[in-house]
Amino acid sequence: MRAFAKALGLALWLTCTPLTCISLAQPQPSSDALLRRAVELHQAGDIPAATSAYRAYLKQQPGNVMALSNLGAALAKEGQYEDAIVEYKKALEIDPRNLPVRVNLALAYYKTSQISLAAEELTKAVQQQPTNRQAIFLLADCDLRLGENKKVIGLLSPLEKASPNDKALVYLLGTALIRDNQSARGQMLVDRILREGESAEARLLLGTTKMNAQEFAEALVDLKKAVELNPQLPDVFSYYGLALLTTGDMAEAANAFRKELETNPNDFVSNLQLGVIFKQDQRYDEARSSFDRALRVRPGDPAVRYQLATLDLMTGNVEQACAKLEQLTRDTPNFVEAHVSLATVYYRLKRKADGDRERATVLKLNAESQAAQPGAKER
Amino acid sequence: MSEIYSKRMNRRRFLAAGTAGLALLRPVAGAGAQPVFEEIPPETSGIRWVHDNAASPDHYLPETMGPGCAFLDFDNDGWMDIYLVNSGPCDFYKPKKPIRNALYKNNRDGTFTDVTEAAGVPGGTFGMGVAAADYDNDGFPDLFVTAYGRPILYHNNGNGTFTDVSEKAGLGAKIFEGHWTTSAVWFDFDNDGRLDLFVCSFVDDGTESHLSCGDNKLGRKFYCIPRVFKPTASLLFHNNGDGTFTEVSRGTDIEKALGKGLGVVATDINNDGRMDLFVANDTVQNFLFMNRGPDSKGRTKWEEIALAAEVGFSEDGRARSGMGVDAADFDGDGWQDLFVANVDQEMFSLYKNNKDETFRDVAFKNEVAQATRLLSGWGLRFFDYDNDGALDLFLANGHPDDMIDNYSQAVKYKEPLLLFHQENGQLRNVSNQSGPVFAKSFPARGLAIGDFNNDGRIDVLVGNNGGAPVLLRNHSGQDNHWLGVKLQGTKCNRDAVGARLAWSASGVKRTRMKNNGGSYLSSHDMREVLGLGKAAKLDWLEIQWPQPSGRTERFTDLPVDRYITITEGKGLS
Repeated sequence: MRAFAKALGLALWLTCTPLTCISLAQPQPSSDALLRRAVELHQAGDIPAATSAYRAYLKQQPGNVMALSNLGAALAKEGQYEDAIVEYKKALEIDPRNLPVRVNLALAYYKTSQISLAAEELTKAVQQQPTNRQAIFLLADCDLRLGENKKVIGLLSPLEKASPNDKALVYLLGTALIRDNQSARGQMLVDRILREGESAEARLLLGTTKMNAQEFAEALVDLKKAVELNPQLPDVFSYYGLALLTTGDMAEAANAFRKELETNPNDFVSNLQLGVIFKQDQRYDEARSSFDRALRVRPGDPAVRYQLATLDLMTGNVEQACAKLEQLTRDTPNFVEAHVSLATVYYRLKRKADGDRERATVLKLNAESQAAQPGAKER
Repeated sequence: MSEIYSKRMNRRRFLAAGTAGLALLRPVAGAGAQPVFEEIPPETSGIRWVHDNAASPDHYLPETMGPGCAFLDFDNDGWMDIYLVNSGPCDFYKPKKPIRNALYKNNRDGTFTDVTEAAGVPGGTFGMGVAAADYDNDGFPDLFVTAYGRPILYHNNGNGTFTDVSEKAGLGAKIFEGHWTTSAVWFDFDNDGRLDLFVCSFVDDGTESHLSCGDNKLGRKFYCIPRVFKPTASLLFHNNGDGTFTEVSRGTDIEKALGKGLGVVATDINNDGRMDLFVANDTVQNFLFMNRGPDSKGRTKWEEIALAAEVGFSEDGRARSGMGVDAADFDGDGWQDLFVANVDQEMFSLYKNNKDETFRDVAFKNEVAQATRLLSGWGLRFFDYDNDGALDLFLANGHPDDMIDNYSQAVKYKEPLLLFHQENGQLRNVSNQSGPVFAKSFPARGLAIGDFNNDGRIDVLVGNNGGAPVLLRNHSGQDNHWLGVKLQGTKCNRDAVGARLAWSASGVKRTRMKNNGGSYLSSHDMREVLGLGKAAKLDWLEIQWPQPSGRTERFTDLPVDRYITITEGKGLS
């Protein structure tokens, strides 16, 4: 099982190394020496010096794709992902079909929690090279984080027949199926994992399945076991936190979300839920940071935008809340809570007519929701 | 005397400081000390009645909703009696043995005697709650018993007996068809000197076929979440003054606002002299009905403003499961604040009045939100339990789902009672310092307050679902002084609901409004106990009687540490 987790981890955490196939034809001799020196420094691990050397070289030869890419890699190595993104993008402008650079750009986006942008780049990479497993798996991971479960299923299902024993694939696909409420097919994959024996992955999938079925106490048992078996498994603390939350243990849930974020800072659920907990505890600055991170992972997510808007409302930034809620209700017109809050904002701003209009929308949406209740079956 | 007393207190404070932190100024229930609230067992009180919740494998929702309870002085002897509401036969329940409500007469010695049969108030339908008040101004409190099924209006005959006058009064079965009535409140909405009646209507439970929420993972039926049921309109009845009532909610916002009402309190939100209504709804927004006075045709206009007032939804824009409510000027600024209890994970709300028909939730600041995160609240009441002059808060809790323990680690079916004491303008959770009863758990529903032993310290009665009621005797504030006031209207309604009291003791001025309703399914001692703190003398007391007189009367040289009766226009008696 360790190998399984390692395989998954490998797919998700590519490392950036300098490209060494230097074209000697392009730069002038003096520039060439500068570039050689930069690569040597880079390979020797002196990243700050390599970065300076690349920059010096690029002043003379600003259009060299390899140098731009290597500079991006050096900056990424130093954790300067935003700067790396700038260099990768310059390289891709010159050479749009450079697959390694595109994957590295995607990784930089991933590292900076810009998951949707990472997915965008990886989609292009997979289109360009449909057999690139690293890109496929990384894209699948991004799509999972974006809640695009169907995309993951579409991406990985074709590979399942060819690699039925690929544990990373089975796990990612199984997770997507279960999250998409395709329980029967998901359960088959869970069973396949379970045949391999006790594992954190199997427990996580079982717990997720039970969460979907609203069997929270049972889910909690599986997820606790998953945490014990492999606390490094992506999402394991996130789901454990959700199970704790639904069974009423908010303090432990907050701890679980924090632990998830220690190893997996891009986890959307943990950022969102932790933000909600902070907000309930009136720790508004911390709530805002958590929501900002969640929004960075899933830009435009209505739930996070709503949380940020109500945070503005609670902290007295009524005008900002108003702008956010107006946009949100335009984008998601059936979001009843957003209409409630927008009505509240209008009333606070003494815009009674607007408030009354939103109130009417709330009443209408609630009436529709009530009418659409499945209702209990008559005895 | 005062010096010795002071030294004694200092020692007590010193001892308390080691263990109780903030509770420095309050007597602490320690070893050997009397608890703040003491549970009086049935063998002592004589109250052996037990609620039958009609629990069945089918889990019909009414089973988990009751019972209500009341403190009332039905025989006008100056001692609080007790009324307890039971379930009963209905379309889904045929009891194997007779089930009845109970009226317990206060024997004035800490015990009670069951006089239900003699008084003629056994109920007979699937009872929910009770609202007690003198609707016909004859000096004797009457009873309105709400129900899943036909509610009952019991008129107090003044001789220890009651008569079911529901049909005669225009409050018969037909007018309540399709309504499952829960909390009710008597109040004079049109200031004509007679108490009118507002009745909360819960969900539309369908016809005799009922609704079932299927098997859960335990392989059993479970109580439907009220969300699946259709909402209904609550009902307002005008007291015609001749023993009859007319429904007057038609065409008003009260009729238009479809809800799932469980709790109601009548108060004056905007200090305009007209009683408004705050209604807690389950799974839909709460309602705040503002009484705008008569229109050109003389009909009272009601405006539902909960959303604009910011008391309809949670701060996250969600409709919660509102159950118990209350209103009081808890912070003493002269404006009525509101409280609503919700189900677990939703937290309860304490709404501070912004004085402009809007409110701000200050539950977190007052430790209420944190303490109630995992609780489901029903009966509750603001009152000054230690007579220090500031209002405190008592909460009765219990989860509606009797199987919740099977699928939740932290939420339980039986839950603890909570007591909050007000210190320096803030409520503080003092439950764990207030007696062993706060370490126990109950399936609590209704809660009524009243001073059953006339010692000036307000006691508490809790109705438990499927169990015996809990009577709590209050021992706190032994060193504080008080004045108990029974207000008797002559021009205004006899119970003086809507009166405003202002008093001064040692130069500290306080005010209180005599609201009515509040809590859940329950009714309270109509008397007001004014806490004077250490002041051994009342400087003055002012009563502003409700309309139609609206007169203000001022009294000085009043006694303390006893109950008095003040009659409108006639003074003390």
